[in-house]
Amino acid sequence: MATDSTTWQLRCTVNGRPIEAEVEPDETLLFFLRDKLGLTGTKGSCLEGECGSCTVIVDGRALNSCLVLCPQMQGRRIETIEGLANGDKLHVLQDKFLASGAAQCGYCTPGLIMAAKALLDQNPNPTEQEFFEGMEGNICRCTGYAAICEAIRSAVQQWK
Amino acid sequence: MRNGDSTHQEPQAIKASPPLRTEPLVEPSSTPYKELPKGPVGRSERRIDGPEKVLGTALYGADLFFGKADYFAQVVRSEKAHALIRSIETGDALRMPGVVAVYTAKDMPGTNRQGLIHRDHPVLAEDRVLYRGDGVAIVVAESERAVRRGRDAVKVLYEELPVVADFDDALAEDAPRLHPDGNIMGGKRIRKGDADAALSASDVIVSETFVTQTVDHAFLDIEAGIACWDGHLLTLHVSGQWAHEERRLTALALGLPMEAVRIITPATGGAFGGREDLSMQVYLGMVALKHPGKTIAMRYSREESMRARHKRHAMRIHYTIGAMRDGTLTAAKITVYSNEGAYASTGPAVLRKAASHATGPLRIPNVYVDVYGVYTNNNPTGAMRGFGACQMAIAYNGMMDRLAERLGMDRADLWKQNLIHSGDAVTTGQIIPIATAVECLDAALRQYRAKKQHDRPLAPHERRGWGISVICFGLGYGDGFPDASRATVRLTPAGRLEVYTGGVEYGQGLLNMAGQVAAEELGMPFSLVDVIWADTGRTQESGSSSATRQTYFTGNAVKIAASELREQVLDIASKLLPVHPHELDLHDGKAVGRFNPSLVVPMAKLIEEGRKRGYSLEASGIFKPRTVCEDFDTGQSPRSFITYLFGSHIAQVVVDMETGEVRVERYVACHDVGKAINPQSVAGQMIGGATQGIGMALMEEVVMDGGVMRNANFTDYILPTFRDVPTIETIILENDDPGGPFGARGIGEPPLIAATPAVLSAIGNAIGVAPHTTPCNPQRVWELLYPDDAQTPYAARLTTAPPHALLSK
Repeated sequence: MATDSTTWQLRCTVNGRPIEAEVEPDETLLFFLRDKLGLTGTKGSCLEGECGSCTVIVDGRALNSCLVLCPQMQGRRIETIEGLANGDKLHVLQDKFLASGAAQCGYCTPGLIMAAKALLDQNPNPTEQEFFEGMEGNICRCTGYAAICEAIRSAVQQWK
Repeated sequence: MRNGDSTHQEPQAIKASPPLRTEPLVEPSSTPYKELPKGPVGRSERRIDGPEKVLGTALYGADLFFGKADYFAQVVRSEKAHALIRSIETGDALRMPGVVAVYTAKDMPGTNRQGLIHRDHPVLAEDRVLYRGDGVAIVVAESERAVRRGRDAVKVLYEELPVVADFDDALAEDAPRLHPDGNIMGGKRIRKGDADAALSASDVIVSETFVTQTVDHAFLDIEAGIACWDGHLLTLHVSGQWAHEERRLTALALGLPMEAVRIITPATGGAFGGREDLSMQVYLGMVALKHPGKTIAMRYSREESMRARHKRHAMRIHYTIGAMRDGTLTAAKITVYSNEGAYASTGPAVLRKAASHATGPLRIPNVYVDVYGVYTNNNPTGAMRGFGACQMAIAYNGMMDRLAERLGMDRADLWKQNLIHSGDAVTTGQIIPIATAVECLDAALRQYRAKKQHDRPLAPHERRGWGISVICFGLGYGDGFPDASRATVRLTPAGRLEVYTGGVEYGQGLLNMAGQVAAEELGMPFSLVDVIWADTGRTQESGSSSATRQTYFTGNAVKIAASELREQVLDIASKLLPVHPHELDLHDGKAVGRFNPSLVVPMAKLIEEGRKRGYSLEASGIFKPRTVCEDFDTGQSPRSFITYLFGSHIAQVVVDMETGEVRVERYVACHDVGKAINPQSVAGQMIGGATQGIGMALMEEVVMDGGVMRNANFTDYILPTFRDVPTIETIILENDDPGGPFGARGIGEPPLIAATPAVLSAIGNAIGVAPHTTPCNPQRVWELLYPDDAQTPYAARLTTAPPHALLSK
């Protein structure tokens, strides 16, 4: 619901926290998270939905936050990389990424972890085909994909 | 599974899904190093910067804006590939709400020049633009929205000039001169033996022309940063890969003393050579100088990053090679034209590297090489992983395939017959004391043959093939260039070990390398190590994170510093115990008697005592080996590079003969790294490098058309994804380098260099026609299969061929 011609009153939850904010209708979720909420763990890279660096989870599904506008987020439940760890305790995906050496430059890492979480939340034991469908929207330029696959595979074994 | 469909495969569980990583196979050293590491060296310690990267708390350039940025800046970039600037109208932009200022070249306080080797690139264009993407003006505003509007409102009036689109345009007699000395930027030659005479005496001569493409670095972390001028010091936080050089160049361009600039490199997401040229440091610095006390923020969009920044050199390589009937190589004659784009960037170094690596690890007694760099109105080309050496590897590996075909020989046999051995010389005449090309090839072949997978049955329209590559790479700048790394180590009162290096960590694993070397030398647990890096205010120059040099150079500098600190610590222990320092060793965080293990002093106690007794508990090291500049006329040098790396890859592909599509099904990579200080990190570099090399072989290409980039985005510039790369089986050989830290050499660039030719070789093996043009995307493969149907036949496109390209017999 627009309060005036230029701004919107956005209500949603981010990592379980209720958020109420004034946004401009053409503001992307990526910009909102990073530059309004300061949640800079979500990264921008191609800014057109090709690389998956900006992946967040909205109502349980992985989304490219560079492609969705804030008004589309009304009433939605948004999860970002900042919401994964429990205090000092890393989420199992974070731990496995670290153990497998799956984060080198680290820039694609938050997006990959969120895409993997969405995939495994929906389907804790994906087939090869389902795995590719869940992950192929994310590009890694420096680590290659092997360590990332190994990390996700070892997380599968501990998925609850 | 559908009933009665026996070919339909049941979906495999993720446990069996490619691409998996196999454990790196580390083969033991054949030349044992005298100091066998007992601590972290050789262990896959977790990355120091890993936790913040998986948590999302690591701060990259654009992550610094939040809560800090006062003003945002954007660059107005040339829309013309070659034009004179008639006027720049800023009035409309200045009237935009939120716009604070617009600056042009006349506002630049210093030289307004940048460039790593030649200072030939105006930061803001003065009277002429040389490529679409040249900076013309800077707009400053209170918000990113306003700055974009302001940027779009700046009107530049151009007078267009003829565009030099490619090599042929640039070399034409009536070509417009892009630089005062003409369109040839420079060159490099090798003259060894008598190539012409040896060619005419050869039984077989094979000629081919290879055309390699322009490649974008495509690091995911787009250029971004912040800057602030407090009236005395300009502080810049910009992603980069050589903080101290960025400081020198920024100071020069802005007319500031070097001491007035501080560069702090934030977390940097990939570089691959793409951050060697300055990106936005001068733009940000200039705006900061105009607005003291304000924090200025700037970030590029993906399109701006691709349109504005330097790329990998596209090369046209005319290669002629001679051999005797038994397969012995006799001579090579090579002419290379390299597309430099609009400005020199690191072009001169790339040309020299191409010449010195023109024949790779092959033993060829007579070699004649001419390399020319040619200016065009394309993006400047400069450093990128494998600079010059990777284009030449495509050519010499391609020639070996063609020669084996002509001679009817097995490819591996032909390679082994002609690879240099320890004590042989490379093309520059440099003797290589430990040359392990044959060992790498053998290990890769063993792995490939031993674990021959159950290859899936092929459809009638598919062909399978496998290919070999063997490469060498001289690490460091070499060639007489002064190259040094410095490091400082320090034991803190809290009992931690601090390592200071000016080197940049952009993902390659520098922090762990430096930290593990220091901890090994001081017998400290790795968990107590902190690495402080790439801050010109706190660290000393360690050279660039490029040329595969940081492990060898900074690793040695850290080891030298740590070994001096070790002497201090042993001296303190010897006073406490008291025994002679030589009778003590440091490990597991304590001093222990070598002969009497009951003598033990923990490090915390040693630090406390050291501080009481006036020890500095700090030491610095410099590593500055000498190399000898290659002779101008012959390209010969007794020691052009400090040491050489060897590697061999094997790729297996399936080609769809109807569509030209290539899939890599299997991949083996073997490299001799001297000593893997962190094997997981080494394997990571091998896999990441091979992935980029597969991208260069099959899909990546910046398409330039009359000076216009047609694919400045990730929708049209295709990068390898999960589906494009199979499991990469990694084999790490460890033949200690006598001068490397704990025997280590390095790993950064060779995996990419070896990957592209291995894939091309496999394609040639599959379809029976050897590729000559990269990338081998479906269209190119199709043109190889059906040359008569190609729109422009390959040969007709090559108008610059030198006479030797026609010698084939």
